[in-house]
Amino acid sequence: MSLGRFALKRSLQGIGVVWGVVTVVFALRFVTPGSPINAVAPLDASQETRQAIAAELGLDQPLYVQYGQYIFDLLRGDMGFSYIKGQDVATLVFGRLPATVELALAASVVAIVLAIPLGVISATRRNEPVDYGATLLSLGGISTPNFWLGIMLILVFAVEFNIFNTSGRGVTVVDVALSVVGPEPVFGTLLTWLAYITLPAIALGTYFMALITRLTRSGMLDELSKGYVQAARAKGLPQTLIRYKHALRNTLIPVITVLGLQLGTLIGGAVITEAVFSWPGLGSLVIDSINTRDWPTLQGSLIVIGTSFVLVNILVDVVYAYLDPEVITD
Amino acid sequence: MPTDNDDHVDRRTVLKYAGTAGAVGLAGCSGNGGDGGDGSDGSDGEDGMDGGDGSDGEDGSDGGDDTFELGVTMGQMDSGLDPQDHAETNTEIITGQMYEGLLDRDKEGGIIAGLANEWERTDDGSVRFMLRDGVTFHNGDDLTAEDVRFSIRRIVFNDVGIVSPQTNDLGPVSEVTTGDGEVTVSFEGYNPIAFQLFATNGDIMQQSWVEENGTDYINRNANGTGPFRLTEYQSGNVVRYGPNEDYWDGAPAVDELSMSASSESSTRVNQLLAEETDIVTNVPPNEVSRVNSSDVATINSVASARIIFLQMRYDVEPFSSQQFRQAMNHAVDVESIIENVLNGFGNLTAQPTLEGHVGYNPDIDPYPYDPDEAERLVEESGHAGVEITLQTPIGRYLRDVEIAQAAANQIDSLSNVSCELQQREFSSLVQDVTAPNIEDRPHFTLLGWGNAEFDGSQTLTPLLSSEGALTILKNDELDGLLEEAESTRDPDERVDILQEANQLAHDLAPWVFMHQQFSVYGVSSDISWEPRADEFIDPDTATQQ
Repeated sequence: MSLGRFALKRSLQGIGVVWGVVTVVFALRFVTPGSPINAVAPLDASQETRQAIAAELGLDQPLYVQYGQYIFDLLRGDMGFSYIKGQDVATLVFGRLPATVELALAASVVAIVLAIPLGVISATRRNEPVDYGATLLSLGGISTPNFWLGIMLILVFAVEFNIFNTSGRGVTVVDVALSVVGPEPVFGTLLTWLAYITLPAIALGTYFMALITRLTRSGMLDELSKGYVQAARAKGLPQTLIRYKHALRNTLIPVITVLGLQLGTLIGGAVITEAVFSWPGLGSLVIDSINTRDWPTLQGSLIVIGTSFVLVNILVDVVYAYLDPEVITD
Repeated sequence: MPTDNDDHVDRRTVLKYAGTAGAVGLAGCSGNGGDGGDGSDGSDGEDGMDGGDGSDGEDGSDGGDDTFELGVTMGQMDSGLDPQDHAETNTEIITGQMYEGLLDRDKEGGIIAGLANEWERTDDGSVRFMLRDGVTFHNGDDLTAEDVRFSIRRIVFNDVGIVSPQTNDLGPVSEVTTGDGEVTVSFEGYNPIAFQLFATNGDIMQQSWVEENGTDYINRNANGTGPFRLTEYQSGNVVRYGPNEDYWDGAPAVDELSMSASSESSTRVNQLLAEETDIVTNVPPNEVSRVNSSDVATINSVASARIIFLQMRYDVEPFSSQQFRQAMNHAVDVESIIENVLNGFGNLTAQPTLEGHVGYNPDIDPYPYDPDEAERLVEESGHAGVEITLQTPIGRYLRDVEIAQAAANQIDSLSNVSCELQQREFSSLVQDVTAPNIEDRPHFTLLGWGNAEFDGSQTLTPLLSSEGALTILKNDELDGLLEEAESTRDPDERVDILQEANQLAHDLAPWVFMHQQFSVYGVSSDISWEPRADEFIDPDTATQQ
């Protein structure tokens, strides 16, 4: 099979998965107790008012009609109308997506910047205090719930020391980029951006950081024991060169795969972090929609999260296949 | 947020500007004291801009100016800006800064003039409102009687644009007619609480503006007559307002108002303590001391118009027995719950109507906590040894689960009753509580009811009359009293009837009467602001300290 055919096959499978996601998400509304009408109508609304609202929302139609209509609308790019917010779901969801992607990327940066050096150091100084420290740190990172970590970070760095903002989103990364050419002071804009994004990025990235540290450490140990490293040592190449040029490069291949896959997880996992930091992304929107029983928005958000997960997966698969053609024949 | 120089804000600001060119940076700092506004909303895009932008320099240059910026952080944002197409408090708070009704309320709930400066009943029982002169919408157009007629009809008649969830809020309106600067609203039958209803509901919109714009536009923009005008709307994130300089009652003191939300109560409290916002809602009792012990904010609470109770369905055993229901009232130690679970933020109740509301009966005493009496009454009712389950929503009312746990434990500790607790997600509980047939409703439930009209009938009728949308009781005597109250034209006589109804409700004990909930706000020490009993937030009454 050629790479092109492989990509096509994975894409078709991906479409199947997305369709599955859409269907499950649609079905959720009907297996979840509580009617959306209760979110719109006051508690003491008369039955007539309830029925009128149901009719207005199209909830009085049979299930298959609603499902068919929903799929049909989705194919036209229409994700429905939020009766709670009085707005198009697509506008709402895609308006929030950039904030989440920005946070997920920032969290990845935090994770990578810390994790890879930590992993390398702890592998090269195995069983030394540095290694134990890194192990402890990653163990802590994996076992700390990120909402708790978020609250603690806010308490210490925002409330107590007043270094960062407690919550919300300041300027966007786009504003920072624009300030390079625009009238705003670059440094000021950058600092404002950092004041808002640092804590949520740390809270969200910690688990990820811990994971990558462990992965880098074991990968590195593995590589360092291989023959080519021995040979290089025997040839008298400097340790730094062996470690950082040869061994690290090979270690990073699986790490990058995991990074790609985890990006999808980060977007989905941002839900709780966003709630703690009132970060105006997709995660907050999901929580809001659950609280207000805003089904169209919830469905739209979940579909976008699910689809981005699938997309990232396909992309990683294809890149992996490109790097390692054996995957295709398997 | 006020401009007073403030250590914390300055410190952060300094950090933000640490690397910028000295002069600009310094200018930014001093101006930014005011820029507390920077944080004042905590969640916006613009303030960040403000952090970075040149205008800060400007801010700085007029450092120490008296720009009064105020931030409010609630638990949840609005559901669109259409003031007539929602039925919840957060949206009401956000749209209520820009829209207003014919009548209004003062902080205690008393009726005061709004867009109408005079109001009266006509001979046939209709109500007539004389509109205030010189009121303009934010787009500059004059308010007309036609606009008022259109607005009322848009709320009550489904064929005028939307199916409004507020359909029932103005009473059974049959027609709205206009005269010269006046509007007359007629009802099907006599409506004794018309003015109470209009003081709480019925925001006025401009007819031509509504007709020219689609739903989506109306939900993102605003054109009201209120004290604030919309300057920026970021759905679900932040809403910003500027003062309406042409407001009929004079422009508010606040120069820039922003409203945002954090669903996490600890985040709200942290925003307040980090001085990023000025008013936060629903501070949980366990955070109260943290706020009070800080030197930047205090707790300000008010008894709200919401009553919490445990309702018992009259038609199922063991709750069909009046003695058993009374026993439950004796079994629960509400005073200790208020003290220990709510840190004192609650008032004991003995009847469905709250103190200060029309029809409150001051002569009724709460059922005393008396487990022995409770056990005796249970024996007498013939239901000794019964097992019951209390259902409670999770997180809907202040500490609802903890309150229910305490109550269920106290009932369970009676020797002849065992009581379990079942926690329910609110909206699924609502589904059951509002089931069309009483047979489908839960037997024993913790519930709360907000009565924004401050009139006893607005609790008694929907919750305890046979035809009430949420009723769990059927009692001919109570029905008779409520019907009588509804048709009585003499207000004093009506109060007497409602008081009698409350006495009867106390004796029938369809509820375990719990408490009146408090609205607990955290308020920055930089401002002076008093909360209102009806859960509405009115920043136009705030002043700088």
